[in-house]
Amino acid sequence: MDLLINGRPTPLPDDRIDPAMPLLWVLRDVLHLTGTKYGCGIGACGACTVQLAGEAVRSCLLPLAAVQGRDVRTIESLGSPDAPHPLQRAWVLHQVPQCGYCQSGMLMAAAALLAHQPKPSDADIEAAITNLCRCGTYPRVRAAIHTAALSIGAPARPARPAAPLPAPPPPSPPLAPPTPPLSLGVSAPARGVAGARAGSAPRPE
Amino acid sequence: MRRRAWLLSAAAAGGALLVGWSVLPPRARLGGRELLPTEEGEVALNGWIKITRDGAVRLAMPRSEMGQGVHTALATLVAEELDIPLERVQPVDAGPDAIYGNVAAFVAALPLHPRDERSGQRTPAARAGRWFVTKLARELGVNLTGGSSSVADAWLPLRLAAATARAQLVGAASLRWRYPKEEIVVRDGLLTHPIGYHAHFGVLAAAAATMPPGEVRLKPREGWTLIGRSTPRLDVPAKSDGSAVFGLDVRPRDPPGALLFAAVRMCPMLGGAPQRVVNEDEVLRRPGVLRLVRLPPAAGSTAGVAVVGVTSWHARQAVDALHIEWQPPPAGTADSGAIEAALEQRAREALARDGGFAFHARGDARSAEAEVLAGGGRLYEATFRAPYLAHAALEPLNCTAQLRDDRLTLWAPTQVPSAARAAAARAAGLPEEAVTLHVTLLGGGFGRRLEVDVIPQAVAVAQETGGRPVQLLWSREEDFSHDFYRPAAVAVMRAALGADGRPVAWRVVSAGDAVLPRWLARTLPALATRMEPPDKSTAEGLYDQAYDVPHQRFAHVATDSGVPVGMWRSVGHSHNAFFMEAFVDELAQAAQQDPVAFRLALLTDDPRHAVVLRLAADKAGWGRPPPPGHALGVALHESFGSIVALVLEVSLGAPPGDGRPRVHRAVCAIDCGTVVNPGIVAQQMEGAVVFGLSAALHGRIDIEGGVVRQKNFGDYRLLQLADTPPVETHIVPSVAPPTGVGEPGVPPVAPALANALFALTGRRWRELPLRW
Repeated sequence: MDLLINGRPTPLPDDRIDPAMPLLWVLRDVLHLTGTKYGCGIGACGACTVQLAGEAVRSCLLPLAAVQGRDVRTIESLGSPDAPHPLQRAWVLHQVPQCGYCQSGMLMAAAALLAHQPKPSDADIEAAITNLCRCGTYPRVRAAIHTAALSIGAPARPARPAAPLPAPPPPSPPLAPPTPPLSLGVSAPARGVAGARAGSAPRPE
Repeated sequence: MRRRAWLLSAAAAGGALLVGWSVLPPRARLGGRELLPTEEGEVALNGWIKITRDGAVRLAMPRSEMGQGVHTALATLVAEELDIPLERVQPVDAGPDAIYGNVAAFVAALPLHPRDERSGQRTPAARAGRWFVTKLARELGVNLTGGSSSVADAWLPLRLAAATARAQLVGAASLRWRYPKEEIVVRDGLLTHPIGYHAHFGVLAAAAATMPPGEVRLKPREGWTLIGRSTPRLDVPAKSDGSAVFGLDVRPRDPPGALLFAAVRMCPMLGGAPQRVVNEDEVLRRPGVLRLVRLPPAAGSTAGVAVVGVTSWHARQAVDALHIEWQPPPAGTADSGAIEAALEQRAREALARDGGFAFHARGDARSAEAEVLAGGGRLYEATFRAPYLAHAALEPLNCTAQLRDDRLTLWAPTQVPSAARAAAARAAGLPEEAVTLHVTLLGGGFGRRLEVDVIPQAVAVAQETGGRPVQLLWSREEDFSHDFYRPAAVAVMRAALGADGRPVAWRVVSAGDAVLPRWLARTLPALATRMEPPDKSTAEGLYDQAYDVPHQRFAHVATDSGVPVGMWRSVGHSHNAFFMEAFVDELAQAAQQDPVAFRLALLTDDPRHAVVLRLAADKAGWGRPPPPGHALGVALHESFGSIVALVLEVSLGAPPGDGRPRVHRAVCAIDCGTVVNPGIVAQQMEGAVVFGLSAALHGRIDIEGGVVRQKNFGDYRLLQLADTPPVETHIVPSVAPPTGVGEPGVPPVAPALANALFALTGRRWRELPLRW
């Protein structure tokens, strides 16, 4: 059995493969692509979110038979250290992760959202990001998605790309510094009572 | 029994232990170079710091990163004193030595009252207690991440270790370049002399290692360039590209391809055990299934079985296919409904006869009640309830173990490495020296990973895999069904209000299962004593609050209901803040006063609290009319040394909404002493609001016939992005030593929500979750 993982045909060792086996466990335990996480096993938490033909899907419920020959993208292919995805840059700018466990799934869901909806509204984000985060990074996830949308800055694409593959991350333009500097703007307490407001994202025009 | 009497008897017992106890030198936590193993090109300068060939710093990291930013915060302390960019300080595993133990967490467990140590003036009992526990904790050296204590604990030792290393590096440069130390400048990880000499730390590390540090001085506050700034966290890049390694991401490659996976099924009845596995042979014949391993109860766990397979999925499928006959625990099965009713009865009885353990008493509350009634005042009584709660960290419990040639290697996402190593050694029948523990990143902790129940399970499985490493992973269902739950609790609260509405007397009795003694017994059995100390961990948050009411008696009835209970983010404060602050809000209403003004009038002795409360109220626009259909609620609470005030703005979703509470805005103010990284403080406050709202709106664990009903996120709901309000964090400037940040944001959430809902609807909520 062959899979197409992150653009590469990936043969699987037959002795450990069962067509009913969910994709999550093939990624993690057979291919050792451990960026995709197990959280609930019932599709509720979204820690296992990957993209299948450009759509965000929960891989803990996705049997191998359903993905054979189709394009599977995991967090490992979202960007590279040299060319991070705009979301990854926004994640760093907004200091989104805490424990970080849910963040791969968050990012893959957010990337699928931006691929379909380059300028998402708050309501779009709320509808698309149903991943659970126990640490409560939601306000920063929201803000970072808005920032990434700004930095992509390309003319709006069709709501559904014709090609099944998600567009590769565009060349990353320098990230426009948001004003005011968002939640990172908590100034040193010595300079007086300081405030930080998370979740007050710059809105796309 | 009064608190003071207990403190004295504990001190007396401690005195016996002190015979022959040598006084540790003040710099004993610096540690020798030999404590820090080095790889080629690395030079250790002390027990905490080593320098790489290219001049970077490796910090022996004693605390576990579970999202609270501790790796960044502790690295910041070191980078500050060494004048090296933060990203050049990399955390590495700290070993088992006692210098890495957490002293502050143990001192904080003393049942002191803030009045015992107001503004540095400690009572003799407080001084003695602190001295004794500090010594004890320093000797024991328990490496533990909890109690929001990490920065407070590291504040002096880590800066001192870095400043000592810096002094040695400067000394080495001075010797090599033959210029006085005073002329050497350290900046950006470089040592320079104005005449043109320069070198990075790696060049001088070997010479520095043998250099006496001379007089070591910490940087003055005015010289700080990192402490107090929102420096980016060290762990964010790896947590944004999938490369961060959590417990279940460990993939040992020695030998290649050898890793096996194990799934667990414990008796669904808490404390029960498997009696017979009916279809073992049949299940073991399945492809990809290798072994069945019996798991005896250990470290508080319920007994069960594990199946080893070639992937976690093969193992899970097999263990779920087992037909197992279970036997209930000999002591009978627990029912949460009955337990909660019994707690209320115990609390009522204790209130009637002034029973329970009085953690704080002053004046004469009972007589004051009579006087108030005679003087035209009145009594106000309310009963509050909180349910059992699960931790629900997103990374289910797991541990990876490999047992080869009488050496055990563990990879564990744990908050308590000392106990994990000891539990593993006990389970394997090996000395602790034969156990190597690698602490991974934690996919959330919240107190759940202060338990080591999963460790002996992983060892039991590793004993059956012939030297191959094995990763044992719980399902989400096992994780919910076999937690150490936040205990259910009840408080009966009575206040005597004078004719002017001001509280004159408070009598409060709370009841709930003791946490700390049972946690010690199962997790650090060497420390468990027969003398069960008063359990501050479930009483905290009521007796230790700042309101200046002249007559008070705060007592707690510690129970043991047989349900495994543990520490849940903010522990006793998590429910007691709800009891206290919802009650105070009711008293304000009874006195027909504004909730903020009413609290301020009771904070005459505590200017820090008043400052925090005013800050949150000002920033939230308290006193101005909120938007139509919205209302504000406030709560103020001190925990883990920090004071947090929270204002929530809520509405009820109008049709076509569901009419359920919706939080529009959270405004938080905190005084947590000196702030190392305000960005991380803001993160923690945001996270605390989400964590607290999940519990206040949805959180409840029910136990019937010993079986936990909630099994997964479908029936244990968490807040989602769409439900989460923007959170503002405002920090009170302070030069006091740092105090807790990870937990103190949680306690005020539930009462602020309940109080806001009251302002909106006129209805009072006295039970969590706030049922709608």
